[in-house]
Amino acid sequence: MLNRASTFISKHRRFIPLTATALLAFVAYGVGFINFAGMRNPQVFLNLFRNTSFILISAVGMTFVILTGGIDLSVSGVVVLTTVVSAALLRAGWNPWAVILLVIAIGMTLGFIMGSFIVYLKVQPFIATLAGMWFARGMCFFISDNAINIDERTFRILGQTKILIPGLKELADLQGTPAPYISIPVIVGFIVLLVGIYLAHYTRFGRTVYAIGGDQQSARLMGLPVNRTLMMVYTLNGLCSALAGLSFCLFVSSGHGLYAPGFEMDVIASVVIGGTLLTGGSGYVAGTFFGVMVLAITQALIQFIGTLSSWWTKIVIGVLMLVFIGVQAVLANRKIGDKTLNARALRRRRQKLAFGFGAAAVLALLAIAFVPRLQGNSSNGQSEITVCELESFRKEEAARLIAEGAVIAYHRLAGPACIDEMYAIYPDGRIQKDDGVHTIETNVSPAEVENLLKTITENYGWYTNEIRDTYHVPCRQCFAHYVIVAYEGQEKGATAVDGGVNMPPGYGFTLAVIRAVLPDAQ
Amino acid sequence: MKQLAKRTLRWRSITESRLFFPTVALLLVLLFDFIFIPGFFTIENRDGNLYGSLIDILRNGSTVSLLAIGMTLVIATGGVDLSVGAVMAIAASVAGILMNPSALRNEVFFVTDPTYTFQPLWVVIGAALFVALLCGLWNGVLVAYMKIQPMVATLVLMTAGRGIAQLITNGLRVQITYRPFAYIGQGWFILPFSLYIVAFVLLATWLLTRKTAIGMFIESVGINFRSSYFSGIQESKVKLLAYAFCGFCAGIAGLVACSNVKTSDANNIGLFIELDAILAVVIGGTSMAGGRFSLVASVIGGLVMQAVTQSMYAIGVPAFALQAIKSVVVIIVILLFSEQVKGLMLRVGAGKKEA
Repeated sequence: MLNRASTFISKHRRFIPLTATALLAFVAYGVGFINFAGMRNPQVFLNLFRNTSFILISAVGMTFVILTGGIDLSVSGVVVLTTVVSAALLRAGWNPWAVILLVIAIGMTLGFIMGSFIVYLKVQPFIATLAGMWFARGMCFFISDNAINIDERTFRILGQTKILIPGLKELADLQGTPAPYISIPVIVGFIVLLVGIYLAHYTRFGRTVYAIGGDQQSARLMGLPVNRTLMMVYTLNGLCSALAGLSFCLFVSSGHGLYAPGFEMDVIASVVIGGTLLTGGSGYVAGTFFGVMVLAITQALIQFIGTLSSWWTKIVIGVLMLVFIGVQAVLANRKIGDKTLNARALRRRRQKLAFGFGAAAVLALLAIAFVPRLQGNSSNGQSEITVCELESFRKEEAARLIAEGAVIAYHRLAGPACIDEMYAIYPDGRIQKDDGVHTIETNVSPAEVENLLKTITENYGWYTNEIRDTYHVPCRQCFAHYVIVAYEGQEKGATAVDGGVNMPPGYGFTLAVIRAVLPDAQ
Repeated sequence: MKQLAKRTLRWRSITESRLFFPTVALLLVLLFDFIFIPGFFTIENRDGNLYGSLIDILRNGSTVSLLAIGMTLVIATGGVDLSVGAVMAIAASVAGILMNPSALRNEVFFVTDPTYTFQPLWVVIGAALFVALLCGLWNGVLVAYMKIQPMVATLVLMTAGRGIAQLITNGLRVQITYRPFAYIGQGWFILPFSLYIVAFVLLATWLLTRKTAIGMFIESVGINFRSSYFSGIQESKVKLLAYAFCGFCAGIAGLVACSNVKTSDANNIGLFIELDAILAVVIGGTSMAGGRFSLVASVIGGLVMQAVTQSMYAIGVPAFALQAIKSVVVIIVILLFSEQVKGLMLRVGAGKKEA
């Protein structure tokens, strides 16, 4: 029995990484499902797709690049260039469909140019695409220094249309909860995924891609069109990045050159976790889908645990990458038959195997030991699920407070108790809190307010580009913030949500110093 | 006739020197500055210390130069280290937290006393460099003993490293006010103090690689690890040493960087700097495929990168838009080195001779 199982496993060895990733995704979601009531909400499940549609689109293109043994670090550059170009052109009054076609063309052109550098001038892929990323990000700032908002009908429709899931809708109606939905980019993501699977496994192009990744020299000797295929792969990835950029653009409905920092790392990590070998030639596009899901669920779990800070996402992703790279190193070694190995190589192989299993075991133990404890911490005193229906910021009201003479207006939403508070700080030291039920007023010294404003503007650079609107779908424990600071003739407001990784550091410090003077704020 | 031959010989020995190309590139950038930016070459003497744009290039280029020294050895073994930026952030976080541990209590706390420090300076520097060395060893073990591709192995630390740095500082920006530490990045002793650090590291590395056999081992591993294995060089140990040293250099660079801005900011210290460092090495003429290397050329390469940056700032290109220009410079430099273009130029030259 055991023998048969091991024969089966070694026969289907190439599916191990794929299966492992899929299992990991299910188990991780299962852990969340059991421990956190919020994760049982169907909308939270669908949000996993909504929040990562752009990563999925980009990762499909990246899978092809990595399958050929290359790498593309330019994806985040192309994504932000797409957001900025489309935002700028829409502001200039272009037809939205023309804008969409144009940015796709730009993405493909950039991919094509980088491809020709790599293929014909033999520049190393990671240097050529790195230069591509710098170029694309730099160009954004030639177009606009500041974030440009998108306020255009077609883009709004594309971004905000709620697609209800048949079946789930009826269930939600029965329970009287809002019907869960997905958005158009999710559909686009799945279409890209299906097209990717078809291209990789059912076409001549796909077979050539695998052949190139296996051994470029042999592929060439077999008479396969290596150069043409590589060019197509990089152009395809440019197309995917542009599509990802469009869906990111719909997601945040604005464009700025500093968005999506480290996006390429998320994409590469999901491809690696999805079981594609970074040396090329082995992997599945479907695995990439599960890789993206693992990433999304990790992020969601960390947000739901609440006591863990957002940087744990990076560490967990790094560890997962290491484990998958290790597993693959072991698998790659197993391909060589036992007989051909000498004692030393055998010993090394055993060491690697032991390392892989050891790492996996340690991780599993850590997960089992930590998750329930952390969950215990976070659910203290609030075992009931509170899923806030997120209100939009009352920006007009904040602006009115500023117009009436306040120097800082601060609006805080959501959080564990679904609060909605508006604070106003006046230059004479008066601080007003309005939580919708009561109005509380306290006083600090005017010098303290002056000091606060100085700190915010000088130390934390409130009026610099570093402080910008960031947006992240809030989780159960997270607060959403909106702050306007008016000082020395300048006035600027910015939004942020904690729990994400995008909040500029200066924003966090600003919140900390403002919260320090507020009445009864924790 | 004999004299002419001698002169051509001398000329050829200059043009074929490894320092020729980066120096010419540096001179070209400086020529550009000379023409377009008035006052670029003025050097002021304030209380015996020298200030000016040229000095700024040297001072701001010191982090990249330090990284380039370590990166040269790694690239010479045929690898690459993408994690240097993250290692810088980790070293800076360790140093920051040892001087101002308020972040651990989750408070933004301003120490204004310039003599306050939680641990003495040597502990701070020693711990930061030790942690950086550990990071380098980790990369080295993955590459040399686990046989994972260098780019992939260091990608792991690049992704996770910044998270670890944030973990150390509890996600806060740690303010550093301890004056002796600030001297590392901001002190002047006629020239900026960081320059002396670069010079010292450069000299020590040069002695280590050129006056012992280590340099030759590194080059032979980079050129052909199999034949160097057969000639008795322990490839794994050489690689481990190169990565560990690269991590160590990144640690020094991290200390200089965080002392320079008086803050230990896990999010921003050394962000994207690995690219500058790799590029500095490439401009310095070390092939990405490994093999022969020149430390001085790499440091000059780092200065070229900094000089380009500084001149762009001086003519008013916004900081972020600069990246676009840098990328064009990079591509041109890389193309100049590529076999294809060299072949093309040779062909053109040959064609001319025939005509």
